[in-house]
Amino acid sequence: MASSDERSAANIVQSLPRRYGAIGARSRHPKQVLVRVENVSKQYRLDDQLVPALSSVNLNIEKGVFMAIAGPSGSGKSTLLNLIGCIDTPTSGRIFIGDQDVSSKSPDQLASLRARTIGFIFQTFNLLPVLSAEENVEYPLLQFKELSVAQRQQRVQHYLEVVGLSEYARHRPNQLSGGQRQRVAIARALVVHPKIILADEPTANLDHKTGGRILRLMRRINRQTGTTFVFSTHDQRVIDMAIRRVDLEDGEIVRLGVRVAKEWVYAMERVIDSTADSEEDDA
Amino acid sequence: MFKLARRNILRQRARSGLTLAAIALGVASLVLSGGFIDDILLQLREATIRSQLGHLQIYKRGQFASGGHHPYDFLIESPEVIERAVDAVPGVVARAARVSFSGLISNGRGELPILGEGIEPEPEARIGSAISMLAGLKLAAADDFGMMVGEGLAHAFKLKVGDRVNLVLTTREGAMNTLDFKVVGIFRSLSKEYDARAVRIGLRAAQELTATSGVNAVVVLLASTDLTTRARADLEARLPPGYEVKTWQELADFYNSTAALYERQFGVLQIIILVMVLLSVANSVNMTLHERTPEFGIMRALGRTKRDVFRLAVLETALLGLIGATIGVVVGATLAAVISMIGIPMPPPPNSESGFTATIRVVPVILAGAFAVGILGTIGAALLPARHLARIPVAEALRRGV
Repeated sequence: MASSDERSAANIVQSLPRRYGAIGARSRHPKQVLVRVENVSKQYRLDDQLVPALSSVNLNIEKGVFMAIAGPSGSGKSTLLNLIGCIDTPTSGRIFIGDQDVSSKSPDQLASLRARTIGFIFQTFNLLPVLSAEENVEYPLLQFKELSVAQRQQRVQHYLEVVGLSEYARHRPNQLSGGQRQRVAIARALVVHPKIILADEPTANLDHKTGGRILRLMRRINRQTGTTFVFSTHDQRVIDMAIRRVDLEDGEIVRLGVRVAKEWVYAMERVIDSTADSEEDDA
Repeated sequence: MFKLARRNILRQRARSGLTLAAIALGVASLVLSGGFIDDILLQLREATIRSQLGHLQIYKRGQFASGGHHPYDFLIESPEVIERAVDAVPGVVARAARVSFSGLISNGRGELPILGEGIEPEPEARIGSAISMLAGLKLAAADDFGMMVGEGLAHAFKLKVGDRVNLVLTTREGAMNTLDFKVVGIFRSLSKEYDARAVRIGLRAAQELTATSGVNAVVVLLASTDLTTRARADLEARLPPGYEVKTWQELADFYNSTAALYERQFGVLQIIILVMVLLSVANSVNMTLHERTPEFGIMRALGRTKRDVFRLAVLETALLGLIGATIGVVVGATLAAVISMIGIPMPPPPNSESGFTATIRVVPVILAGAFAVGILGTIGAALLPARHLARIPVAEALRRGV
């Protein structure tokens, strides 16, 4: 899978001097791969037709990255995100989270995996309307039998504070603004201490200022906790905040990017079908 | 999950309200129709018992099988044995001995065949409380030669109170005997058929007329109809061999077929009500769950299984069913009480002349049944939509919201 271009891009990053700050520091050590997408394709059946959403996608996502999956609408971003998030299964190919092959798991096993490993932030419909903010944040923890009520409460209050919504704990979603709702969703995503947080167009329904605030909050959390964040987006601001990018077009990866200082360093993916497996194919 | 279910119901006020109304209406209808049928059958049953049959009748073995055509062959010579046994059974309110005979009455102008009963006026008056007198009075102990005549018979002979009629019959030995009687009253029982051929005279007069000293039957009235089975068993244990005890149910042909007819009709009605309620509940539940697909999708994205989602959906609907059924029972019972105060005028049942006033009985069994149907029907209506909801792939469920 890796082209010589990609390998040279990887070499560039790894040889960056320390003064490039956090990015450089983290790039010095080979990163642990959290998610591996191997030759994944996804097709939908729409009435009588088979719609190809993703074709032969190969991707590695490292631990701790702040990654954007970019592309126009219809490019397959949400589909890829859904597959990584185990709320959908690929038509062909495999996906590994940690070292577990999730494409062959049963729905119940996937549910369990989602509960403990993955945090979701959707574009809309994030929260359960009949629960207050703190109850919404607590909701995923209810499945964790090992936590006592006190421990749950502690986590809930902590993350509400992290997102700055402690005062609004008792409010219901319909009493919160769009930005506040997203922040509750972030808190909820964090509360299970997930390995990876997936956000589908998180700023799409927010105004500029709020969107920016949300992004900065997530970036801060990413830096402080090392939680991996993966977004799907077509918003340039989101892409600007990311340190990794994957560009999709018509269901295929057209390029991979790594942020070096304020610029992107791209690696081109071979457009022709590749059958060779990759070891490290990201730049 | 309970908290979630409860809040979900409260949130969807209008939709929940509609579903609740459907359930409550169905349950109330079942309460009302059930109570109505129950009352009609009850009144029919009690009228049957209290116009001729009593609760139990005791014969010499074989009389019933012979169809009552040869009453002389089955005379009970010493009824005291029977009467003592009856008196020892708990729950007995009255007992009366009867003599049966057949013959003719004539009033000079013509003759008509009749079925006659010699009765003990006082206890029979208590047993036959559902017999109404259209004219005159019931036979009294002092009326040695008084006669009560059935409505149809009186009409056929144009008899009035005070008229004299002549009764002709064959005695036990085979001789003809005749005696004059005065009509003291014209009665109407529950059976038109019976009234068309029946006369009742005093027991002693009948014994004199037939030249016998025995009786054909001892009729027993109990304090309540529920005691029938137990009393019968008790009595059978106390009686010497050679006698049999028949309950009113075994004697009341037309009651049994009328009851069967009514029950079948109303049974069908209740099924129709049930189906209609189920359909409207299913529709309402289906709409609600469909609308909330993305909500359930979120739950699954957060790690809840299909089964969790299914359970929540069913739980919500079950709660609605519980509340709706309770409302239905309360409304139904209240309406039943109000309607019963007013009363429902009813036409005469088959083979009868008298109409009556029906009420709606509030019976715990009927209430419980309607309640159970309400809840179970609601849960049943929810199962398929809930299952369908749980099976939608998560990604698709979320997409539906957009």
